[in-house]
Amino acid sequence: MLFSSIPFLYYFLPSVLILYFIVPKKLKNTVLMLSSLVFYGWGEPKYVVLMIASIVIGYFSGILIEAFSQKKLSKIFLGVSVAINLGFLAYFKYADFFIENFNAVTGLSISLLRIALPIGISFYTFQILSYTIDVYRKDVPAQKNIINLAAYITMFPQLIAGPIVRYSDIAKQLEGRTHSFENFSKGMRRFVLGLGKKILIANSLGELCDVFKASDDKSVLFYWLYAVAFGLHVYFDFSGYSDMAIGLGRIFGFHFSENFNYPYISKSATEFWRRWHMSLGTWFRDYVYIPLGGNRVSKLRWFFNIFVVWFLTGFWHGAAWNFIIWGLFFAVLLIAEKVFLLKYLNKSKVLSRIYTLVAVGISFVIFNATDMKEAASYIGGMFGAGDAPLASTEFFYYLKSFAVTLVIGIIGATPIVKKVVEKVFENTKASKFIWISEPVGLIVLLAVMTAYLVDGSFNPFLYFRF
Amino acid sequence: MTNKTKHIVITFVMVAFFLVLSVFAWVKPADEFSTSERRKLSQFPELSFKTIVSGDFMSNFENYTLDQFPLRDKFRTLKALVALNVFNQSANNDIYVVDGFASKIEYPLNEESVERAGERFRYVYEKYLKDKNTNNYLSIIPDKNYFLAEENGYLSVDYEKMLSLLKENSEFLTYIDITKDLELSDFYKTDTHWREEKIVDVAEKIGNEMGADVKAEYQEKTLENDFYGVYYGQSALPLPAEKIKYLTNDVLESCKVFDYQNNKEISVYDMEKAEGKDPYEMFLGGPLSLVTIENQNAKTDKALIIFRDSFGSSIAPLLVEGYKKITLVDIRYMHPNLLENYIEFNSQDVLFLYSTSVLNNSETIK
Repeated sequence: MLFSSIPFLYYFLPSVLILYFIVPKKLKNTVLMLSSLVFYGWGEPKYVVLMIASIVIGYFSGILIEAFSQKKLSKIFLGVSVAINLGFLAYFKYADFFIENFNAVTGLSISLLRIALPIGISFYTFQILSYTIDVYRKDVPAQKNIINLAAYITMFPQLIAGPIVRYSDIAKQLEGRTHSFENFSKGMRRFVLGLGKKILIANSLGELCDVFKASDDKSVLFYWLYAVAFGLHVYFDFSGYSDMAIGLGRIFGFHFSENFNYPYISKSATEFWRRWHMSLGTWFRDYVYIPLGGNRVSKLRWFFNIFVVWFLTGFWHGAAWNFIIWGLFFAVLLIAEKVFLLKYLNKSKVLSRIYTLVAVGISFVIFNATDMKEAASYIGGMFGAGDAPLASTEFFYYLKSFAVTLVIGIIGATPIVKKVVEKVFENTKASKFIWISEPVGLIVLLAVMTAYLVDGSFNPFLYFRF
Repeated sequence: MTNKTKHIVITFVMVAFFLVLSVFAWVKPADEFSTSERRKLSQFPELSFKTIVSGDFMSNFENYTLDQFPLRDKFRTLKALVALNVFNQSANNDIYVVDGFASKIEYPLNEESVERAGERFRYVYEKYLKDKNTNNYLSIIPDKNYFLAEENGYLSVDYEKMLSLLKENSEFLTYIDITKDLELSDFYKTDTHWREEKIVDVAEKIGNEMGADVKAEYQEKTLENDFYGVYYGQSALPLPAEKIKYLTNDVLESCKVFDYQNNKEISVYDMEKAEGKDPYEMFLGGPLSLVTIENQNAKTDKALIIFRDSFGSSIAPLLVEGYKKITLVDIRYMHPNLLENYIEFNSQDVLFLYSTSVLNNSETIK
């Protein structure tokens, strides 16, 4: 089920909220878990079984790892748990990729499995992995109550597109959390703003990207317009989803970590990844990069570690070579920055930002390509390769038609609005106006977004495929 | 006021909004039909173990909630107004409005489609018209974009290229150019079609080119009910209603019109359909595969066969004066192979009369 859908907003969410807030405290996690299974099963009824299996395996793994924590068996249980969960991920997400490439290398023609990807499998697998690893490391005690663990793994606000919530971050909140008007109103505000980012900006720019891809009238400037539009689209789509997840979590009394921090103001690719999809970045840092030795190793080994992490980051995003190349592209940038580039980038804020935006823009062209041939063609087009003219009729038409959305997107991707609001709050009279207008504004925004949903059909969440 | 009060206010306001709309959505009886969009609305889907496991229930339920959402038309209008006026988008659902005229963007030129249309015309020609002493013509009706798009900065097909492609693929037809006889005001503001009362000159032009004297005096009549064209519902914009006018005279009123699709006699202007969901269907009964008009007072034995789309329904009555019999064939609704059961092709005038939007989406032509 999509957050940005009428069934979610006007059927599922009100029902869950009513049920959640009327049941006694001890049943709240049960309500959360059951409603999350309904939420998940709504889109993938058959994969609920897979999810339940993952939960049960995660639960008993945690118990066993803790029970045998002083013995070697603990490591074996961890290994088995990790292998099973990664096995599920490998089978459902990567099997056809491996077969395709095996066929290509050997010349065989093994039939593809053509398995539908269980939505959110990359996210909840990583959550289960982090739980069992944390228990193994004794960072957290094993969860004895399977309902609580299931509520954590299935929790619908963040189930299918993150952020990747670490068990250690919300273990205490699972046992006991506070519900308040403040949590509810702040959570709802965050949810509505996230919904706005998704419906009003991301969906609109997604349409522009689709129009570009279908166009026979591409031009150099149209390629760049596409790169800008997709960069904003993916940011507003994913950060909008994270806002909604964080907001919904807050309504239910949870405090999830932030997942984005204005990544497009970064002055390097290194900084970009400290601000973009932070929950994934820290996951790979804590569970892959540091265990590999991080940067406290020889230079060559350090570079190798970086390549491994970014290969996996790319591969996590999708079973296709363009995702792997996308990840490795960042590995190269990060190494270059660490070796020599950062000292030059630090000399000019403007040039470093331009460098980052261009690099990230190109990376997302690779990211969104159907294959590497298309990626190469688009990147070539951006730099005048081929016979595309500088500008075309379609470029001017769509630039005009999406200009306001693009400007709102560009401004919204910076902290300008946040800073203005903070300034306004410093002014007593203006803050009173904001005070009164905020509930009205939220209702108007919600009404407009409902209108877009009722009328529209373009509504896919980009990160659902990961 | 304190922050605590603010949080309480926001909580109650948001809860109230969700609850009111949710309860309204849950209890509102389902509508059968959307008048503005001219389509049946989704109904509550079948709920069973099978439909849940297959996921059919969920996808159909989503359609149901979208179609049956309370104040649906109002919300669609709100979206259209925000898209056009706040986000300054050029069009809403591909429909734009200039000087009150709504038009749907038809872009890009689908060359394959135009060539396919030409191939289908050739099929008819080869099968029925070749060596049959018929006089074969082609005329193309431009859509409103022809008059509006370029000068107002909207995308539109390359009409010259479309025409040249079609001519190349139908060189056996004599082209009658009516584009210079048409202007924007000849079309309904909220609909795709032309207005019958405005195309008398176009009919005369076509008649002249085919050597038929179709000139006649008409009495203009106006339907009482309001007409909201197809773009009204699609655009969801608050466009004003229009009136449908039609032209009649004694000759037309005495014509015998036969609908072969339903095997019944109908009238040139169907007053029952004039009050129906799409009043434009009043012209010769709307989308019918095969219709004949017999002129009881004809001063000639000439016969005309029109291969046509929906535009043909409103111009055919204006050609009646010059013919004893007019046959209207819509090969979107019947395969041309069936025509030999109904028509003997011999010495008639044959006119292929198609709008640019059908030519650019010719997959419907059989």
